[in-house]
Amino acid sequence: MEIEVSQDKLSKALNNVSRIAVGRVTLPVLNNVLIRVDNGKVSLVTTNLDMAVVDYLPVSSSKDGVTTVPAKLFAEFVSNLPKGEVIKITSDGPKVTVSAGKYQSSLNGSPADDFPELPELDETKAVIFKIGIDEFKQGISQVAIASSNDLTRPALTGIYFNTYDNILAIAATDGYRLAEKKLVKNVQSEISVIVPTSSLQEVLRSIGDDMDEVEISFNDDLVRFRLGEVEIISKLIDASFPDYRRLIPKDNNIHISLRRDELIRVTKLAALFARSVSGSIICEAKAPNTFSVKSVASELGENDSSIETEVTEDTKINLNSRFLIDALNSLDDKEVIISLASRIGPAVLQNKTNDDYTHIIMPLSS
Amino acid sequence: MYNVWENVLAEIKQKVSDGNYSTWFQDTSLISTDNGHIVIGVKNSFHIKQLKVKFSDIIKDALLKNNLEVKVIDFEVQSGSKPRVRTREITASDIARETSIKPRRTTTSSNTPSFNNGLNSKYTIESFVIGSNNDVAYAAARSIIESPGDRYNPFFLYGGPGLGKTHLVQAIGNELVRRNPDYKILYTPISHFYSDFVDAIKSGKGKDFNRKFQKLDCLIIDDFQLIVNKEKSQEEFFNIFNDLYQLNKQIIVTSDRLPSQIKTVDERLATRLTWAGAFDLQLPKFEDKCAILRTKAELMGAEIEPEAIEYIAENVNTNIRDLEGELSTILLMSEVRNLTPLELIKSGSASISHTNSKIRPTSSKQIIERIAKYYNLTVKEMCSKSRVSNIKTARQIAMYILSKELSMSTTKIAAEVGVKDHTTVMHGINKIGSDLKTNFTLRDQLAEIKESIYD
Repeated sequence: MEIEVSQDKLSKALNNVSRIAVGRVTLPVLNNVLIRVDNGKVSLVTTNLDMAVVDYLPVSSSKDGVTTVPAKLFAEFVSNLPKGEVIKITSDGPKVTVSAGKYQSSLNGSPADDFPELPELDETKAVIFKIGIDEFKQGISQVAIASSNDLTRPALTGIYFNTYDNILAIAATDGYRLAEKKLVKNVQSEISVIVPTSSLQEVLRSIGDDMDEVEISFNDDLVRFRLGEVEIISKLIDASFPDYRRLIPKDNNIHISLRRDELIRVTKLAALFARSVSGSIICEAKAPNTFSVKSVASELGENDSSIETEVTEDTKINLNSRFLIDALNSLDDKEVIISLASRIGPAVLQNKTNDDYTHIIMPLSS
Repeated sequence: MYNVWENVLAEIKQKVSDGNYSTWFQDTSLISTDNGHIVIGVKNSFHIKQLKVKFSDIIKDALLKNNLEVKVIDFEVQSGSKPRVRTREITASDIARETSIKPRRTTTSSNTPSFNNGLNSKYTIESFVIGSNNDVAYAAARSIIESPGDRYNPFFLYGGPGLGKTHLVQAIGNELVRRNPDYKILYTPISHFYSDFVDAIKSGKGKDFNRKFQKLDCLIIDDFQLIVNKEKSQEEFFNIFNDLYQLNKQIIVTSDRLPSQIKTVDERLATRLTWAGAFDLQLPKFEDKCAILRTKAELMGAEIEPEAIEYIAENVNTNIRDLEGELSTILLMSEVRNLTPLELIKSGSASISHTNSKIRPTSSKQIIERIAKYYNLTVKEMCSKSRVSNIKTARQIAMYILSKELSMSTTKIAAEVGVKDHTTVMHGINKIGSDLKTNFTLRDQLAEIKESIYD
């Protein structure tokens, strides 16, 4: 096998694939990146057996062949070479020689036969969506924040892609809060799958400046993301996601419009005095025009800030301050609407100008 | 079967490296061996290809050594290969929500009947919970299923919202169709009936309108009370009713009150509708509510503690729809929170929603004034000691509303409406509460008063 490629392109590709090549004692080959040249097409592949990253590398010249080398070491070596150099990679059995001008090193690879075979997506049966990169990136980060990392409840460790009323929506919940984003309107296909949040975060990290669209293909138990030269394949979580749309309260009738930056400030102030584990703060609405955020820490003191806004009815709710800040940071309008009920119930947060993104926080018992 | 797989694994272990064994084989299981069709369960989709390509010979050898017939080896992702910590499983009816992909939306399935009868197959006679509140109506329904168009024709069913009228009549329809697929049934809410009728007139086919009904074997009309002020539709319905009745076709009508209590319903039609009697569905008693909740939970395949059921039954006093809504909310929340329903209720995060919670608090004085005004009395008259029946009723209504809407104590109410002590108030509230179940005029009045209070 032989490849000639420019340093910047190789370095970028290696940085991208080597993140998931993390040590597994039982199967050391997973630390390696698979370099395959097949009919002049060069691909770099890594996997952690939950997902795989494939980067197709544009090269100046190549000879067919396949080998594997330790991913982290290779990536670091290449990134320290001078920019603009042309790097030549040749393999002879398990020995891989990397040379660039006067720099040369030889890496101990291992046979490509040991590298696991990757699952392939059956294109004919796949459901495919194409989404603008900015919407995708924003949507996933807005929702991922509510996702859980409790491995005993696998369904909640992923982001739920589902369709209803011709909308593709994504949602995540950890049982205490829930976030939903309407990602694409007017979709024809139907889908209901849970994609691991960790895989999606990897997809976000792989997004480069020059990309403008992501192609997502779902199969029975696989999902594939295509971003330019990068392909990420991930397993799906085999579990059922709660029927979350029924958790969105419909009868919250007290809608309070607030400036987002102001609310963030008072919440942060209150959070300083909310030192218990749950970071509980009290949000109180008083008709006709006061919304106040309070917290008390008996050993430190207390805090009480209020914002002037139109309030139709009195109500009070205890919320986790961290969750509230997370939610406010996920919203992006200048003004946000917080909807409460007169009885104790979940708080609903949305942007003032649209309802594409909904964030729900369960109240704490006071 | 489990043991065989242990042996097969032991065999494989000798042939592959420890690393390979623990990565690829550790969490596998043998799902089936039918006629040489071997299905092996694996942890996730990343394992399938590897096992297929690299290890299928080894697996085959090991299976053969253990005297298993091998024709094809298939792999399946099986999350159950590693038991997960889950306190409670919701499955059964929730299977539909399992992660699955439908490749493309298919428009119509082949087995839908050629004739759209408007019935929803989720309402079955089996899932109808029988209790002291509905056993008479249920018995009549069964008799209709046995011999439609016979004894209970027309079948007139009435009761408040959310008590199961629609469920029962749809169940009759579904059961009739199940027994005889050629049976022509039409279920239609009266609102569709008159909007269809208006459309027919608009397009000049008014005369043909009743033709589509004449071919029916059974006509089910839901929410008949909404026919108020639609005189022309009423006349048309009257004609259709007569036609079908002459031919001994079953007619089923539901309403939230008796026909004679619906304003502007022709007297001839009103008497005809109740020829064969009127059957009512009442509010379920505590025991009935428990039974309903238990059946519903069973249908959903969920486990719920008896204490939790009693809690819900005690706290929801409106109707069965609210009862089921509350149950599914609690089950859902407990699934999300990973608590059992009882733990959830005890943690206080399941506050039963009161249907009137949207109402803004009003002062007791205002309420009393409005009620007095509604009954054309002065506040002084109403809050006197007069025993005149209409004044007394107005006073009792005031007690009832103050107690239900403002949750005032009986002693306080006594002072507000000028009666001697709280026992009088308690009697008044009970009296109105029980009258409401049977007296529809009173129910209407109460609704109108509430409207005027909260307007």
